Amino acid sequence: MSIIRVEGLVKEFRRPRRHEGPFGGLRTLFSREYTVNRAVDGVSFAVEPGELVGYLGPNGAGKSTTIKMLTGILVPTSGLVEVAGVTPWRDRERNAQQIGVVFGQRSQLWWDLPLRDSLRLIGKLYRVPADMFRRNEERFTELLGLGEFLDTPVRQLSLGQRMRGDLAAAMLYEPSILYLDEPTVGLDVVAKERIREFVAELNADSGTTVILTTHDLDDVERLCRRIILIDRGTVLYDGDVASLKARYAPYRELVVHADRPVEVGGVLAIRYEQGRSWLRFDPAETQVADLIGAVLARYAVTDLSIVEPELEGVIRQIYAAGDRS
Amino acid sequence: MSRYLACARMQFATVLTYRTDYLMTAVLLLAQVYLLRVVWTSVYADRDVANGIDVHTVIAYATLATVQYTLFSPWRFSQIPQRVREGKVAMDLLRPVGFCGQMLAAQVGGTAATAPFLLLALPFALLIGGATAPPTTGAAVAYAVSLALAYAISQLLALLVGMVAFWTVENTGIFMIYRVVAQFLSGALVPLWFMPGPLRAVAQVLPFQATAYTPTATYLGQIHGSGLATALGVQVLWVGLLSALARLVWSRAVHRVVVQGG
Repeated sequence: MSIIRVEGLVKEFRRPRRHEGPFGGLRTLFSREYTVNRAVDGVSFAVEPGELVGYLGPNGAGKSTTIKMLTGILVPTSGLVEVAGVTPWRDRERNAQQIGVVFGQRSQLWWDLPLRDSLRLIGKLYRVPADMFRRNEERFTELLGLGEFLDTPVRQLSLGQRMRGDLAAAMLYEPSILYLDEPTVGLDVVAKERIREFVAELNADSGTTVILTTHDLDDVERLCRRIILIDRGTVLYDGDVASLKARYAPYRELVVHADRPVEVGGVLAIRYEQGRSWLRFDPAETQVADLIGAVLARYAVTDLSIVEPELEGVIRQIYAAGDRS
Repeated sequence: MSRYLACARMQFATVLTYRTDYLMTAVLLLAQVYLLRVVWTSVYADRDVANGIDVHTVIAYATLATVQYTLFSPWRFSQIPQRVREGKVAMDLLRPVGFCGQMLAAQVGGTAATAPFLLLALPFALLIGGATAPPTTGAAVAYAVSLALAYAISQLLALLVGMVAFWTVENTGIFMIYRVVAQFLSGALVPLWFMPGPLRAVAQVLPFQATAYTPTATYLGQIHGSGLATALGVQVLWVGLLSALARLVWSRAVHRVVVQGG
């Protein structure tokens, strides 16, 4: 039984058409013409309980709009959304109780109040029993290192601290689903890692279903087994990370450090730099062992390694292909 | 209920972090009470009674109505426009509590935080302006009931006008105009009994008079007997009507929600 079901989801935004020229502003005010922009255009997917899914796409692809419909903030123009048996926008309050949401760009914490007060209020709003509240406050304080700034007003927190506070707030009532919309945007490496660890642990220990949108593909490589790739409001790819690489970047590279440039028949030598040669091969056609054997037989090799394609290159390739069409 | 209480408490705490705002509000209130007294005293300079009302009653009315109005309709009477502008409305919609309920609870929390400042200002206001005790115990009780209804009406109006923000993003101008018109028609500046016939007729069919004129005139014993029953009935009617209207507007607004800023 899928915990999230999305079928033929569409969201259109209407804006009044702007008029140019003299009195343009005035004419805009009284005009009934609209331009319609389809931010999400027929997206369908299903997520099973306990999955950790990366929802990727370039800026303006419709990621955040989809998340906002899943969380019940936006009402879809058409299509079906069902989250744990509930239509989010119609049954907003029930849906709210079973989901946690973290937006990298905005905070659910109360700006003027200490983090501790925000957490306490969220405990009240979500009717968290006292012992569960105490347990989670302790657990998150330790896992996310909140101790040093629990009593600081949120507006004085650094971005990394605020994000950690937001994560704790989103999980305080133990929702079964967690939406993370660009949770690591603008964070330093240490803060990013801390957040990734936390998410991985939640997913592994508590079985929390996680939907993650991000532009940081390290997040994805580190956390997600499955990704859904969208662009211009439609799904381009839905499947596991390994298959995506296999489909869009079937090549491996063999990097050989030898006494001279390496050339092997039937294999493309793509680069030679400071004694190292890059050989591109398709593992489906060329056996790695055969290739290495051939190299070792003919060259004095000091070092050698096999490089997997990086997700970033793969995704860049897919976005670029989308732009051409 | 505990959830709404939590919303109210949060706004209470937030408001208290901006103490200067509220000290300024209290100072402005006192200035306004003083100016009204000056004006009414000069109006009454060569007569004892106008339209059957003496100067003490008018000044008491002006003082009481101004204090009430400041408490019921703060300058930022609704948080909705700002929250829509900044996209914070997204967070409100994620709460397991209804949006209108959250906003109303927050308004109540804001009032609760402002009240102490105004209570501090009240003795000064009475000193600068003027006061009379309610003529009868009945009037005092009726005033308490009418005041509670007036508060409900003013908060529902704030909610409704605030929700306009879902249709128009930039609305500072609209709200300024609304505030001025609403304050005038509520009778908070000029009691309804001094308004010329047609204007008074307009004021009487609008909800604003039920937020200031009704409780104040009740306090002063100007509304009593069967007139009082009618006035309270009208207030109850407005609470019902405006609640229904708020529900309707919200059900349409929810389809208009656009979250600003990504």
